[in-house]
Amino acid sequence: MPLTTQTVDDAQIRVWSAGSGSPLLFLHGFEQHPGDAPFLQRLAQSHSVYAPELPGYGESTGFESIHDIFDMAMRFRRLVEHLGTGPVDVIGHCLGGMIAGEFAATSPHLVRKLVLVDAWGLWIDADQPADPFVLNPEQLKQAKWHDVAAAERETSIAQSHPDGANAAMLLRQQNLGVATKFMWPIADRGLSRRLPYVSTPTLIVHGESDGLIPSAYADEFARLLPNAEVARISGAGHLPQVEREDAFITAVETFLAK
Amino acid sequence: MKFHWFAEVTYGHTTAEEVKNNHTWVDAPATMHDPLKVGKTYQMFIRLMQLADRSNFDGLAVNEHHQTSFAMSPSPNLIAASVAGTTENAAILIIGDSLALYNPPTRIAEEMAYLDCLSEGRVIAGFVYGTPMDSTFCYGVPPVELRDRFREARELILKAWESPEPFAFNGKYNKLRYVNLWPRPVQKPRPPIWVPGSGSVETWDLVIDEDYCYGHLSFSGLRSAKPVVDGFWDYVDQRGGDTNPNRMAFTQICCVAETDEQAEKDYAEAVNYFYSRQNVNPAFAQPPGYRTVKSIAHDIEMRGASSLSNEDRMRAARGEMSFWEYDEKGYIIAGTPERVRQRIRELATDLRIGQLIPTLHMGNLSEELAAKNTQLFGTEVIPYLRDLWADQPDHWTPAVSQQRVNANMPQVAGVAGN
Repeated sequence: MPLTTQTVDDAQIRVWSAGSGSPLLFLHGFEQHPGDAPFLQRLAQSHSVYAPELPGYGESTGFESIHDIFDMAMRFRRLVEHLGTGPVDVIGHCLGGMIAGEFAATSPHLVRKLVLVDAWGLWIDADQPADPFVLNPEQLKQAKWHDVAAAERETSIAQSHPDGANAAMLLRQQNLGVATKFMWPIADRGLSRRLPYVSTPTLIVHGESDGLIPSAYADEFARLLPNAEVARISGAGHLPQVEREDAFITAVETFLAK
Repeated sequence: MKFHWFAEVTYGHTTAEEVKNNHTWVDAPATMHDPLKVGKTYQMFIRLMQLADRSNFDGLAVNEHHQTSFAMSPSPNLIAASVAGTTENAAILIIGDSLALYNPPTRIAEEMAYLDCLSEGRVIAGFVYGTPMDSTFCYGVPPVELRDRFREARELILKAWESPEPFAFNGKYNKLRYVNLWPRPVQKPRPPIWVPGSGSVETWDLVIDEDYCYGHLSFSGLRSAKPVVDGFWDYVDQRGGDTNPNRMAFTQICCVAETDEQAEKDYAEAVNYFYSRQNVNPAFAQPPGYRTVKSIAHDIEMRGASSLSNEDRMRAARGEMSFWEYDEKGYIIAGTPERVRQRIRELATDLRIGQLIPTLHMGNLSEELAAKNTQLFGTEVIPYLRDLWADQPDHWTPAVSQQRVNANMPQVAGVAGN
């Protein structure tokens, strides 16, 4: 697996990287890094893809020094500077979308184009998202997928210490614990006040059957961002890049090529 | 050993049907309670604690919970205020204030100082993380921040009590330019501090490093607690900490009556109510990030070592145990004063407990029976167990309450052999 560990400030960040072409940063969602996911490999056919594991997740460190969402955004600014790629296209999924939005707001000189996929970060009183931390595994599965059969296609990054009967449960506790920093009790850390400053061309991708984040959120992102368009993907839930990989890749590549 | 009177301020009027159909913590429907009946309940608990103060108890314990019929004590400091000014002897054991939930936490320093002034130096300052339901769901603290917020709040409170000069506090969560507490606690440099826990090694490190009293506050009794409490003492020993039993507190439901049969008659329904009128959404009990991965792994190990089966735990929670099975499995200690003394002596010796927190009202028990329980325990149990750990120093209870309670304590003969 194309994994390296990058030292960024006081953090050791694992980075999945592959491919060649224009640089692209992928920020993963609240559950885990997707590892060698087919959609990442497809993106790597035409881009130099860098997919870091978020600080505090899995084997990436440096979470303790992150006080808020801005520290998280700055951590990726440092990472991109460290990679030396110049401006990157950024795809942020789920929690990664919330961070990508903040990254674009605070480091516009490093972001060429922005793609937000079923992203957290906003709150609408009249149309509240699910509370992902109280759903039991079956409820979460139902919420995430248009067709739960797709669940078996979801991938995750390998860990060096996979032993032990409780390893998977403990890893999940660790990862979701980090997510609570930004998503608990309401996944709103003020992104709506910053999005109007993001002039970066942005594509809002939303799985039409996302049971965690209602489709009204795609419209709200588009309303707040001055330069955004929406691509709804039918037959997909919270992870359109997995459930409708072809449609996802087509929408993203068409946007990035414009 | 010492005894601190305690009860959960449980709403005593929920039906089994309501509890079956509704959660009782976090999102419990408010329609399940009548505020006038809640007021009567508060008045009853204040009277019972005043009685305990006259009945040889070393402390009166109050705690903090939110949005639940199980314990309607959103601010322990409020109940503490009601008893601090109307009692003379016992310590006011606030066990405790949820440090991460007060903004700014100097509020805790102030209110505990107020209570220490009002009670003439009888406050024990309990610092708690709060249950997941209370702290992370009802009060919305991100679970992963809870320990760090507790750490900073503790630092601020201690400095507020002890610093002779005004100071600035530039914390991660609290920014205060002028901290200069009025009033200060009577006890110098500060009241004794207790920190209860549920087996997290990080909490063990804290109480060992700071020489605090640790508390294992469950209602599952000896069998469930033994691996955790033994684990605590092993850990204290390994780290070279103080293994004085007086630095360990433990809750235990006790039901005392003239005969064993009378105990069952008096308390069986209330015990069943206590254990079965709870319906906590499991999702609210274990949010990710509340416990560290290290502590979860440790907890799994501990549970494996318990002689209480998961089936028993579930049956206990469903109210499916008989009164005497609850007793046999250690959930309660019931019977005549002689039997209760004997069982407590065994428990306290086995677990090395110097501070027992007997729970003497439970569920929907009447005031009359709770008063009987309190009086019997205070006069027929406490004096007979004074000898246990009496040779060990105790700087975890206030000097004033120790002196006043001991001055009134009846001397009984043949203590050690009873």
